[in-house]
Amino acid sequence: MRKNLWMLVSLLLVVSVMFTGCGDAGDTGGEETVASVGMVTDMGGIDDKSFNATAWKGVELAIEELNVSGSYLESQQQTDYATNITQYIKQDTDLIVTVGFLLADDTAAMAAENPDVNFAIVDFGSLGDNVRGLTFSTDQAGFMAGYVAAAATKTGKVATFGGINIPTVAIFMVGFEAGVDYYNAQNGASVEVLGWNTAENNGVFVGNFESTDDGRRVAEEFMAEGADVVMPVAGPVGLGSAQAVQEAGNAWIIGVDTDWTVSASQYKDVVLTSVLKNMDVAVFDTIKQVIDPNFAGFGGENYVGTLENDGVGIAPVASGAVADAVLKDLETIKASIIAGEIDTGWDTYLAGLE
Amino acid sequence: MSRQKANAEGKSPSRISAAARSLAVPLLAVVTALIIGALLIIVTDETVLAAFGRGIGSGLVQAWRIISKAYGAFFFGAFGDLYHITETLRIATPYIFAGLAVALGFQGGLFNIGAEGQYFIGGLTSVYVGYSLTGLPWFVHLPLALLAGAVGGALWAGIVGVLKAKTGAHEVINTIMMNYVAYRLAEFMLDVGGPMARPGYRPVSPEVQPSAYLPQFFPSDSTIRFNAGFFIALAFAVLVWWLLYKTTLGYEIRTVGQNPHAARYAGINVPRTIIITMALSGALAGLAAPMDILGVIHFMPNAFSSGYGFDAIALALLGNSHPLGVVLASLLFGALRSGASNMQGIAQIPIDITSILQGLIIVFIAAPAIVRAIYRIRGLEQGEELVLTRGWGQM
Amino acid sequence: MPPVLELKGITKRFPGVLANDHIDLTLHEGTVLALLGESGAGKSTLMNVLYGLYTPDEGEIAIRGERVDIAGPNDAIRLGIGMVHQHFMLVPVLTVTENVMLGMESIKHGILLDREAAAKRIRDLSARYGLDVNPDDLVGDLPVGIQQRVEIIKLLYRNADILILDEPTAVLTPQEVEGFFAVVRTLVAQGKSVIFISHKLKEVLALADTIAVLRRGKLVGAADPATATERDLASLMVGREVILTVSKEPAHPQEVILAVKELRVRGDRGEIAVDGISFEACAGEIVGVAGVQGNGQTELIEALTGLRPVMTGTVTLAGQDITNHTPRTITEVGSAHIPEDRQKDGLVLGYPISDNLVLNTYYLPPVAKGLVMQEEVIAERAERLVKEYDVRTPGIFTPAGNLSGGNQQKVIVARELSRDVKLVIASQPTRGLDVGSIEYIHSQLVRKRDEGAAVIVVSAELDEVLSLADRILVMFDGEIMGVVLADEATKEEIGLLMAGVHPGTQEAA
Repeated sequence: MRKNLWMLVSLLLVVSVMFTGCGDAGDTGGEETVASVGMVTDMGGIDDKSFNATAWKGVELAIEELNVSGSYLESQQQTDYATNITQYIKQDTDLIVTVGFLLADDTAAMAAENPDVNFAIVDFGSLGDNVRGLTFSTDQAGFMAGYVAAAATKTGKVATFGGINIPTVAIFMVGFEAGVDYYNAQNGASVEVLGWNTAENNGVFVGNFESTDDGRRVAEEFMAEGADVVMPVAGPVGLGSAQAVQEAGNAWIIGVDTDWTVSASQYKDVVLTSVLKNMDVAVFDTIKQVIDPNFAGFGGENYVGTLENDGVGIAPVASGAVADAVLKDLETIKASIIAGEIDTGWDTYLAGLE
Repeated sequence: MSRQKANAEGKSPSRISAAARSLAVPLLAVVTALIIGALLIIVTDETVLAAFGRGIGSGLVQAWRIISKAYGAFFFGAFGDLYHITETLRIATPYIFAGLAVALGFQGGLFNIGAEGQYFIGGLTSVYVGYSLTGLPWFVHLPLALLAGAVGGALWAGIVGVLKAKTGAHEVINTIMMNYVAYRLAEFMLDVGGPMARPGYRPVSPEVQPSAYLPQFFPSDSTIRFNAGFFIALAFAVLVWWLLYKTTLGYEIRTVGQNPHAARYAGINVPRTIIITMALSGALAGLAAPMDILGVIHFMPNAFSSGYGFDAIALALLGNSHPLGVVLASLLFGALRSGASNMQGIAQIPIDITSILQGLIIVFIAAPAIVRAIYRIRGLEQGEELVLTRGWGQM
Repeated sequence: MPPVLELKGITKRFPGVLANDHIDLTLHEGTVLALLGESGAGKSTLMNVLYGLYTPDEGEIAIRGERVDIAGPNDAIRLGIGMVHQHFMLVPVLTVTENVMLGMESIKHGILLDREAAAKRIRDLSARYGLDVNPDDLVGDLPVGIQQRVEIIKLLYRNADILILDEPTAVLTPQEVEGFFAVVRTLVAQGKSVIFISHKLKEVLALADTIAVLRRGKLVGAADPATATERDLASLMVGREVILTVSKEPAHPQEVILAVKELRVRGDRGEIAVDGISFEACAGEIVGVAGVQGNGQTELIEALTGLRPVMTGTVTLAGQDITNHTPRTITEVGSAHIPEDRQKDGLVLGYPISDNLVLNTYYLPPVAKGLVMQEEVIAERAERLVKEYDVRTPGIFTPAGNLSGGNQQKVIVARELSRDVKLVIASQPTRGLDVGSIEYIHSQLVRKRDEGAAVIVVSAELDEVLSLADRILVMFDGEIMGVVLADEATKEEIGLLMAGVHPGTQEAA
């Protein structure tokens, strides 16, 4: 009996599948939406608590506020990027958002072949007329975080480390070091930065964006060397650092990408501040452009997130961590950076790459 | 093959039913995994739960709607049209190579957990030949680039073979360690400013020369990425089968794998055979990488990890370490991946379902008693059962 | 008093085979019943029925006059039936106590293993039955003979009254066999009943109170050990007259084939296992190597065949120095080797018979042409050899592992003796085999001798060496204690040499 039942179920399943065929495409969000947005993640997946997740937040916001439909496709392998982009092209998606430099080649190729489709790529410059590059001057926000860190340290040592040494990671650290240097210069202090040196283009990298164990280990080493502020620029790896810092009890962590008092709220008592890279703002802004009735293509124009347009920023500093005067300094610094009066170290870094 | 058939003939009057029964388990394992997958989709779907809130009937209707939509997309994504069929075959291609690599190791009594690392090294050597040589005709350049991948993988695995043969160091430990070395080496080579990095700000290699591309079969439709790699993979499966079952070298490899003492007694040079087996296994794993690099993406990124080397272990187990079995298992994985990809696009089912389905299928095939108990299939007689591996703990 | 165990009309069928055909057996309390039969006669099936592993198709089992159903080993143990299998079921990394407790752990304070209580019981049992087992020893460190006693203790610990011992002496050295006999006699004296499965006629005659002989699933007779002879039992077992002594013409030794000079070889633990041995073997003679196991015979043979490095000394085969050459070279010079451990060294159990028959010639023409093996040639050869050497198998593609021990050995013998060789080295060629197979293998070795090969036979069975060899070397502690001519030597003389005593001097060496 049991055997027959299972057989029947499987048979029904198979038959039903045969008859339903391929189904209809991309109908999430109802029929009356004004545009459709598809996002292709990199291999980190949608719940990476880092840039895939943040970019998706921008799409979600647009679904809520701009009456668009949106969906995402996760990639498991390098070859999935093209597959997923192709799926959206076949579904006549109005805007395809690709996340991360790994998708640059496929995005460029697909964009060239499909000039009518609008693309946006997070963390990469424009790849053609129909592609909007979404990049972020995170050095500006990192600079402010470095200033806060230098002000908050009691041991005179602050630390940072990265996942892999690529410009989108290093940019945080470059700004961070410059901010600390600026604090030293302004206040006659001599706070030391562990884990990064722009002049040498060299620093501490764990080599991945996954291992929380690595994050814990590196943070513990930094603390053993006397650092009491750690800024991990390595996605989920940093959560391991946050835990190590929390257990030590006498140090601060600086969050990256999002406000960690919210996204990693279990560590909020040790979060000094966070360097915000508002990819959601950038994505939302792009969707808004595309649905504008007067939209006539990107024309190869890029979005660059800055302190000025709130594309980057820092989260509120933990209360009592630094003197009120420091918070006032930050306002001044922000204005100076926007005005282009302060060097965040980025040009030095780029020069070093040549 | 003829021997196995004859063997069953010698033992059991109903060899057809025995063959059917040994095929029934894998098939039913797939069906069972799909059923469990369906249940997972239902219980994680909010609309279904909401519908059940309104009553059993509407819940069932909604569940049926979701499942038929999801699995409709799944099967369409695996076999639905030319594009999806070719995607299934294309995805299966590197799987075939990686699976053959591990299967060959199993046949020789070696547990090559290092296919992943050998894949990385094969990728590096192959892509280097692919982009650095210019001006060659394709019929020289492409074979050279493939050969480079094979040689890279063979050398990488060969080191482990030599260590095992000369010092007895266990290949499982060493291949795992060599995996890490390979990851870091790839990182060093491809990181921004690294020796093999493309000028610019991305940790990827330069573009491969078109003369080293694996030829496309549908050049008119650029979305169809099916290329000659699949047929090369099939050819290698035949080659591995021929090598294992028809040649003296294959006899040596299998004898060392099954009984190293008897191999020594028979005058086989066991250390030499171990080194050869490991190197051949590495060559096959090294050839998996160019399938994507020369056939699809035409460069190598440093975050190249895709788990092929680890999926390969499952493929070799599913395929009973036999080349034909590996090809079938690879096609299954290709279909699962391609189907799940489409299911994600059409029905918004998370792509992770592939991992779950793969895991379930492996569990059911590795523990056939579960499937037999569910479907009340008679067990195979002693000696008929599928020997999944004899690699572990033999030596 | 009813018998402690009674089987009536037990019948067990397998597809195509009648494994047990209406078998009646009676076991009385405090006696040893020997179950005798060739491999494949149905002994194991019958015992598995008794142990609850198989359900009989017909027949019934009664214990102390009461009919019982035995559905599994747990039922059997509850009814006081215990079995020691040929292959021990012990965990080497656990102590004796832990092994014995496994499956029926005594517990104290709710969760803790009560090792002390168990160890005390083991000590008591050991003393009472003269087993001499220390409960704290690691099983892996114990010699095979003691491991067997651990198995017996496991049964006694579970209060078994009926002990089934499946070929218990197959794995034992002659000394251990003596000790084992003593144990069985003590067990019986204390009221236990024993079923002793064997195909060694001498042992059966020495130990049993009653003998039942099985052949092809049928009970073909019972014999009284007081009156029966080996010859009677053998013909009962095989179903025809069996020649127990090897019939052979006197040897005509010719030129020297194998010359060993001052050979020194290390054993596995680095000790000197072969200590400066010199001897020669000539074409047309059988040289027997006698000795208690572990006196360097294994190492000697491995050194001669290239499987173990030679420290010092030389080995010359047909005028060619083969010292420290590879097994392949030595084979190619003209040597055949029937290895001591046939399943470990001599066969690939997963391979079909056909592939096993080319194990050391797979790369030579005509079996292989270049890199490609010639399947037709292999199959043809297999068909011929299976017929010629009387290997009983469903087909040439049957895996070697599915054959009985005797047939496995015949495959090896066929492979080795069908080649044109100058030297045959046979190590324990008939260990664990039934009478029919032994007879056959002996005749083949003699045939090889008569064809002009030098034959070396190593055996732990003194009778075998005596009847087969023309000349006998006796090894003790890595040295040759003496060389005797088989026709002139007596068992006593060789026995003394085996013990390290030179006859005549009566002094320990």
